[in-house]
Amino acid sequence: MRTVDLVIIGGGSAGLSAAVGARKQGVEDILVLERSPYLGGILRQCIHNGFGVHKYKEDLTGVEFAKRIADEARALNITCMCETFALSISPEKVVTAMNPSSGLFTIQARAIILAMGCRERSRGALMIPGSRCAGVITAGTAQRYLNLEGYLPGKRIVILGSGDIGLIMARQFTVEGAKVERVVEIMPYSSGLARNISQCIEDFDIPISYSSTVTQIKGHGRVSSVVVSKVDEKRRPIPGTEFEIPCDTLLISAGLIPENELSKSAGIELSPVTKGAVVDDYLMTSLPGVFSCGNVLHVHDLVDHVSAEGTQAGANAARYLRGEVETSETVPVESGFGVNGAVPQKVRRAGTGKVDFMFRPRDKFPACRICVDVDGVCAATYHRPVLTPGEMCSFSVDRSVLAKAKEKIAVRVEV
Amino acid sequence: MWDAIVIGAGISGCSTARELSRYQLKTLVLEKGHDVSAGTTRGNSATVHAGYDPDPGSYKAIYNVRGSRMYPDLCAELQVPYVKNGMIVFAVNEAQMEEVRRLKEKGDSNHVETKVCTREDLLEIEPDMGEGVIGGLWIPDSGMVCPYNLAIALAENAARNGVEFRLSTEAQSIEKIQGGWLVRTSGGDFETRYIFNCAGTYADKFNNMVSKDVFHIIPREGQHLIVDRDLAKYTKTTICQTPEPLPTGGHTKGMGLMPSVDGTIILGCNADDVDDPDFSDNTREGLDKIVNYFEKNWKHFPISRHVPQFPRDAVITAYGGSRAHPDRDDFILGEPEDAPCFINLAGIESPGVTAAPAIAEDMVKILVEREGTPLKADYKPGREIKAPFRTMTMEERQKAIEEDPDYAKIVCRCEQVTEAEIRDAIRRPVGARSVSAVKMRTRAGMGRCQGGFCSPRVLQILCEELGKEPLEITQSGGHSNILVDHACQPKEGNEQ
Repeated sequence: MRTVDLVIIGGGSAGLSAAVGARKQGVEDILVLERSPYLGGILRQCIHNGFGVHKYKEDLTGVEFAKRIADEARALNITCMCETFALSISPEKVVTAMNPSSGLFTIQARAIILAMGCRERSRGALMIPGSRCAGVITAGTAQRYLNLEGYLPGKRIVILGSGDIGLIMARQFTVEGAKVERVVEIMPYSSGLARNISQCIEDFDIPISYSSTVTQIKGHGRVSSVVVSKVDEKRRPIPGTEFEIPCDTLLISAGLIPENELSKSAGIELSPVTKGAVVDDYLMTSLPGVFSCGNVLHVHDLVDHVSAEGTQAGANAARYLRGEVETSETVPVESGFGVNGAVPQKVRRAGTGKVDFMFRPRDKFPACRICVDVDGVCAATYHRPVLTPGEMCSFSVDRSVLAKAKEKIAVRVEV
Repeated sequence: MWDAIVIGAGISGCSTARELSRYQLKTLVLEKGHDVSAGTTRGNSATVHAGYDPDPGSYKAIYNVRGSRMYPDLCAELQVPYVKNGMIVFAVNEAQMEEVRRLKEKGDSNHVETKVCTREDLLEIEPDMGEGVIGGLWIPDSGMVCPYNLAIALAENAARNGVEFRLSTEAQSIEKIQGGWLVRTSGGDFETRYIFNCAGTYADKFNNMVSKDVFHIIPREGQHLIVDRDLAKYTKTTICQTPEPLPTGGHTKGMGLMPSVDGTIILGCNADDVDDPDFSDNTREGLDKIVNYFEKNWKHFPISRHVPQFPRDAVITAYGGSRAHPDRDDFILGEPEDAPCFINLAGIESPGVTAAPAIAEDMVKILVEREGTPLKADYKPGREIKAPFRTMTMEERQKAIEEDPDYAKIVCRCEQVTEAEIRDAIRRPVGARSVSAVKMRTRAGMGRCQGGFCSPRVLQILCEELGKEPLEITQSGGHSNILVDHACQPKEGNEQ
């Protein structure tokens, strides 16, 4: 069996950034496994702009961003195997994969970075009642049909959910000559970025209904209309508030779920909240030497953040391979009031520098503070003019502050 | 003139077609759907019932018990997964234990092995049996199959033995002619000596065209949820609660948890009469009924030992189907007195999937015994098909890839379906012509992402194999096109 120092599963923005990060920290023997025939992951179908503002200080399209990062990896002579599907990872870090030219093969990895990305929540998972006809499609799949294949999957569209891909697709469908009838969001606020609400919805006069959901899909063969209802504070449809919207397509943009099937095969501990791996501040999972980054760890808003996390995972994997990451004692991090799924979920006592935290606010909070409690005592605070569930919140804390914790660290919002 | 026309390609029609294909007969199957198994057969609880509960002496009892005993060999012959996992019908109070004892009596009359169990007895069979269960009925010969998989396999085998299938061809009327019948369809007229009426929820329509002995089919819909395969490891036997009678007559087998042969969990189902014979919607009421039942009663099920609450997040999809419930409360079989050579397989509601192979044997016997039809000398009972990639051992996978590198290309990542299997599903007899037909044959798109990633690739492969354009490919025939137009392109002469 071939041995490789660092195997990276996934050649999207997280995986490629991790590869570059690891190479720059001196890892020579890197292998990236990518299941599709191309590098770049989902960015290949993102022809809109807004990528790279943080990383490259430029406003790029997703395609350009993907090309830059793939070019960086190529310039560093990183080996990427495309059309290669990883079937499983064993707890001993043996990766089983296959591709048409090599067939089925196994690799003993010394370290692994998980960068498999995420998938979209489907109609089935949402249990939307009604006809099971054609014309119900997730936003990302529609984006692929439109941008990579050149076909319109519908002409009169209702969008369920105000996730970023749905908002982007609302604009794009409009530009392509389709009519977006309405965006329907179950929460009282958008789950997408403020800039997307403004640039993709308001600028195109697309109506948006908050606290509403699709309660029925109608149509024989193809969608002919959907029924929309208002919901109460427990997100239950309110009888009598129904109205019907004629359309040929229901586009679903109602959340992303990290794809951790491989992590499960390795027995890696997953968080029921983020659906990603439980990691320490090195982004190392419960299996020593296996790291996780990008949307497979927790769903990000911006590729720039995915890329930064990838770079960090790559650098940490390099430290692990040099033997600089000891199995050290950790302190658990709890998500307190207003905080959903803080990452990392544990912090090492040993080490220096800063620890980066990220979480998704549970609600909209104007002018608030983020508090970091160490053993129940507030040890650091960070002011924020506003927090919203549509935008991931991030901040850094000095490890010296955290290392004092005897029992636990908690992150919470104070209004 | 055809010797036999089978109307409908569900489990009854496909069983009949396969049975007819053993004989020297010219057989045609007419199916209005885009694929075989497009109606009731694709939307039910996938259970191979042992036959403990139909009324003794009824057709349901006779054919259920006989069909159930045919399943192991039939499925082995056709390479269709079948598991005899046993069933527990549990009781939570003394009234339900009474019902359990009544079921036991019926089981005895039907010569089906059953055992009335105390809680302790049940714990020996299912050590994790949940709280509140005081006892129940154990039915060791109950099993699970994938009904549409079996119907497709029966159809493929029938086609391999010379039966012709016309899909998307709706039988519209039947007239008596000299020496047989004239069947008018959406795809032309056909003459035949015999008709096998396997039209499911439409069987009454055809019977009532040729016979004064009229009956009616009441579509009775049932809905199910599918739970992610991750949780299937906590399930083994089929677990149902003791059933309650339905207001409109008859009863179903109660809400239950069925571990599917494909490694997922089926939960369901409700039973509500509807007007539309094609009803396969999911309704708010139906889904709520299932969710509410399982939220409330989850603790009784053995899985609750490992997954304490009903796992709403692990539901990957829901489906619905309509049972063909007849107004006579038993299967309606054979020739009406006033319509010889018109053979009914009607009112095939539960336990129809189980009974169908046995019913088909007897119904085909009516023809072949009367006509003295000889068997085919070169009849081939099996199928030429590889096991799915996801169930292959590593050695089998390696060999499959060496023979065909398309086996190394995963198209559906959730269910690990390869490009080779998708191409094969299209090339096979009665092959897939739509995205849904590929899904039924391969499971591509049936996993947790529900086709989000693989459907564009499946569409491409369908285009390549069938020589079609993407705009022509449908989800499930008719007007269910997946794509509606080209994206905006600069028009000629329209300079910008």
